[in-house]
Amino acid sequence: MSARDDKIRQVVAELDAHLAEVEASVAVLKALLASDEAPEEEDPG
Amino acid sequence: MARELRKAAKDSGEDVAAHHGLVKMIPQWERGNRAPRERYQLLYLKIFKDIATDMVPGMASGVDLAMRLAEVRSRAASLPGPGQIRALEAAALAKPRETMTPAQIRALTADAITHLHEVAGKLAELSALLGGDEAGEGKP
Repeated sequence: MSARDDKIRQVVAELDAHLAEVEASVAVLKALLASDEAPEEEDPG
Repeated sequence: MARELRKAAKDSGEDVAAHHGLVKMIPQWERGNRAPRERYQLLYLKIFKDIATDMVPGMASGVDLAMRLAEVRSRAASLPGPGQIRALEAAALAKPRETMTPAQIRALTADAITHLHEVAGKLAELSALLGGDEAGEGKP
């Protein structure tokens, strides 16, 4: 494996970590908004 | 090929079009009339990786790298932009939340945008490593 391939793998790993951070934050924001749209459960009692 | 695509999708727990739909789409992809969507491109890569690995054992590493590249680029392309993240923040701040304070929401948004900029930087770094012909692909 060449040094260039190693460097590409390293950058891909770093990119993957940043992607995961953005995806997680966006998921939290979307979950907050989704909770606005979810119908409130009726109290069965 | 349709059967191979459906098998590869099933192995990775994904849904794909029905068999007859694939039979209709595959000739269009092969003729170049239409480009397969990214998830189908990734399935093709998976299928041909398995074939290539069987034929030339040393090829697996390079194919793995190509698949990783395709996957991270696909994920990067599907991320919202900074403006969309700001819009989500504004919507989330529009009413009081029990689970997060406004400061936490703002911090989360700032963090997301910081990482989004890092994503753009890493994509540019990748394009430079891969050569000029790859520049400009993906987002943000």
